[in-house]
Amino acid sequence: MKTILLVEDDKNQLLLYKQELLLEGYNIITAQDGQEAINKVKEHTPDLIVMDINMPKMSGIESMGRILSEHKKIPIIINTAYGSYKDDFMSWSADAYIIKSSDITELKDKIKELIGKI
Amino acid sequence: MKKVLVMLLAGGQGERLYPLTKDRAKPAVPFGGIYRIIDFTLSNCVNSGLRKICVLTQYKSYSLDRHLRIGWNIFNNELGEFIENIPPQKRISDMWYQGTADAVYQNIYVLERERPEKVLILAGDHIYKMDYRELIEFHDEKKADITVPCIEVPIKDASRFGVIGIDNNQMIVAFDEKPANPKPTPSNPEMVLVSMGIYLFNTEVLVKSVIVDAKKDTVHDFGRSIIPSLINKDRVFAFMFNDKNNKTIKYWRDIGTLDAYWEANMDLVQIDPIFNLYDRGWPIRTYHEQLPPAKTVFSESFPGGRCGRVLNSLVSNGCIISGAHVERSVLSPDVRIDNYSEICDSILMEGVNIGKNVKIRKAIIDKSVSIPDGKSIGYNLEEDAKQLAVTEKGIVIAHKEMHLL
Repeated sequence: MKTILLVEDDKNQLLLYKQELLLEGYNIITAQDGQEAINKVKEHTPDLIVMDINMPKMSGIESMGRILSEHKKIPIIINTAYGSYKDDFMSWSADAYIIKSSDITELKDKIKELIGKI
Repeated sequence: MKKVLVMLLAGGQGERLYPLTKDRAKPAVPFGGIYRIIDFTLSNCVNSGLRKICVLTQYKSYSLDRHLRIGWNIFNNELGEFIENIPPQKRISDMWYQGTADAVYQNIYVLERERPEKVLILAGDHIYKMDYRELIEFHDEKKADITVPCIEVPIKDASRFGVIGIDNNQMIVAFDEKPANPKPTPSNPEMVLVSMGIYLFNTEVLVKSVIVDAKKDTVHDFGRSIIPSLINKDRVFAFMFNDKNNKTIKYWRDIGTLDAYWEANMDLVQIDPIFNLYDRGWPIRTYHEQLPPAKTVFSESFPGGRCGRVLNSLVSNGCIISGAHVERSVLSPDVRIDNYSEICDSILMEGVNIGKNVKIRKAIIDKSVSIPDGKSIGYNLEEDAKQLAVTEKGIVIAHKEMHLL
């Protein structure tokens, strides 16, 4: 089973994404800020990371840079409410950049495209 | 010009120039008496109107940092000009720079702050004169994503370089790093076109390509990883090096070995050197300590008399040649040579002190070395090799601050 690390500081959103992706048949681990995400990657080495950007302690962009320096093959999807981070050069390290919406079909499709279903 | 940022790569270890790189990075190795190797590239920048410069340093950067701070503090921040020294900062990686492309990747933050339109990637260890404005104009004319300056070299030397194949429009269609069987240029079967190891990038293409490369298992080098992955995909053009040295032979040297270093210095003492340091239209600047003029003393004409004589040599400020004979040599500032000594075909760096009755030929004596009375160097290589470094071609090197008996 493929494992996805969900990084999201908003508890309700985290729960929503978790439920939806569990239904798709993925194993889900979670982190609530960039620093925790780095620690989780060290423990579990997920197959894919869904990363929010605007979070306390450490932003998703900094966290992504650090994760990639050690695990450069893990696909990362940026999942943010803001389009403006696209101007940040480091955000280009992500395999995809998705702007949050109530419909998470786009996110699901992207995950499938990157790692397949199971 | 204001929209172009220079990233000058000065982080290489320069192992092949050891022991000159024992205590300093290769770009900080003295050259031509008063210069450091990096001065030539920095002078090119200033002469081309490029005044936003990041120098990416790494190994043994103390001497280089100091030279840049003291000697190149000529940029005006208020006008948006700067020269910044950037060592690895562990911003996105816990590693040192893993290659030239990784050095840029680790400094994406700098590009983001600066937001240049184009980035000129230069090397801190080449000696040449080039007007980068012509390169930038060519790049714009061709609507290029990347432009690689190139020079023709004899086919026998091609295996040391990245060999380039171009179409009629000067677009690069092939790039082989250090090939075993290089293809000659269409116009001359004796020559091949090679990359000079410097690159002009549109910023967006640069950022994207170093990010893609960072995720791959490559050597993270522009020549070996990035350029080959971009040709036939992006608009990559070759720009023919137009030498501002204005001699029949184009001058571009990557001072790769101690023998090449010695030869390039010796070229400067020829009657008509290939590399011209005297062109007021393309000045080479450096840091100069305030020292009195060079001086020779003694002209005793009786037999056995002392005579301070200098022939076909470069002699820097602060030197005193006292009753000694100097021929075909390059003397950095503050060198002292005492009575009855003979120096030929040699490079003496700053603060070298030569005693009485010393004989030296074909040698490089690094900074602050004192040679005791009666010593001979370069006349018995087997004997020299017990104490000093000796190259393939028989050049003897005394490293910095070495204590010789």
